[in-house]
Amino acid sequence: MASERMTIPATPRTPEIDFDFASGRLALRGESYPDDVATLFGPVVAALREHLAEPSDAPLHVDIELVYFNSSSAKVLMTIFQLLEEAARQGRPVTVDWYCDPDDETMREFGEDFSEDLEHVTFSVREAADRDP
Amino acid sequence: MGLSGMAATLGQEYAAFKRELDSKGIIFSFSGYLSEGILFSLGEALREKMTLEDADGPTVRRVFSVFVEQMQNIIRYSAEKIVASDGRSIELSAGMVTIGMEGGKFFIVCGNTVRNGDVPRLRERLDFLKALDKDGIKAHYREQLREAPDEGSRGATIGLIEIARRASEPIEYDFAATDTDKSFFCLKVRI
Repeated sequence: MASERMTIPATPRTPEIDFDFASGRLALRGESYPDDVATLFGPVVAALREHLAEPSDAPLHVDIELVYFNSSSAKVLMTIFQLLEEAARQGRPVTVDWYCDPDDETMREFGEDFSEDLEHVTFSVREAADRDP
Repeated sequence: MGLSGMAATLGQEYAAFKRELDSKGIIFSFSGYLSEGILFSLGEALREKMTLEDADGPTVRRVFSVFVEQMQNIIRYSAEKIVASDGRSIELSAGMVTIGMEGGKFFIVCGNTVRNGDVPRLRERLDFLKALDKDGIKAHYREQLREAPDEGSRGATIGLIEIARRASEPIEYDFAATDTDKSFFCLKVRI
């Protein structure tokens, strides 16, 4: 039985992780430069993989609101996007909102780096001010 | 650094050391054992200092990113390293990090000992990155992002590309042989 929800509170160098599988809303918010990326994200990626292994056509929405992430976190994000793309390819509606500050060209460009080969996931870059209350 | 002729007092010795650092535009410099805890604390101080000096947001983010990648490379790859014997994830790695300003630009220099056997591969990666232009670095980053993690590298490949990507001038690096099996490696990045 896959877990219904995985939540990990933020720390000054790790993001708030809220993967609410039951409601189809996943979110990463804050900073991400953990001292050990595998310890933090290993179980999170495993839970996502397990959740996506069960066929479903329930929409999945992902909010990424990261202020900064290091290169090891970038590899994890890519893994997450590849899993989401595969689920979307199999017919699950997946939307991703990628938030960045208006003056943060780097974060905007990262959004392009990740979305470049997403064909089935609907990926939108949004300015932080557009965030839902 | 002692003054020639007569021995300097403690105050004179360290005042001279401090002047030397200041004359190179150094904001801070740390030499010794680095850890993830030190990375975090120095990183916070760096962000605060740059923000107080009204550096613009994008510059603060670029400097911080290069700082984190450089520090994590030392922590993971320094050839002088102490790892907790009871298996706890504590790594203390010898190295140095210096951040300063010259000609109106921030620079970050990191240095650590590497095994001579690892030098050719590292030099090859750096030579490759240095020869790429902005678009080339961006394309290479995207390519590496999609590669399965390189066993044993713990992410150094993409970390070095991230460093090169944030630099405003080509990266500078050097290896100085210290003995038959080790070299001192340093990497200077201007933002």
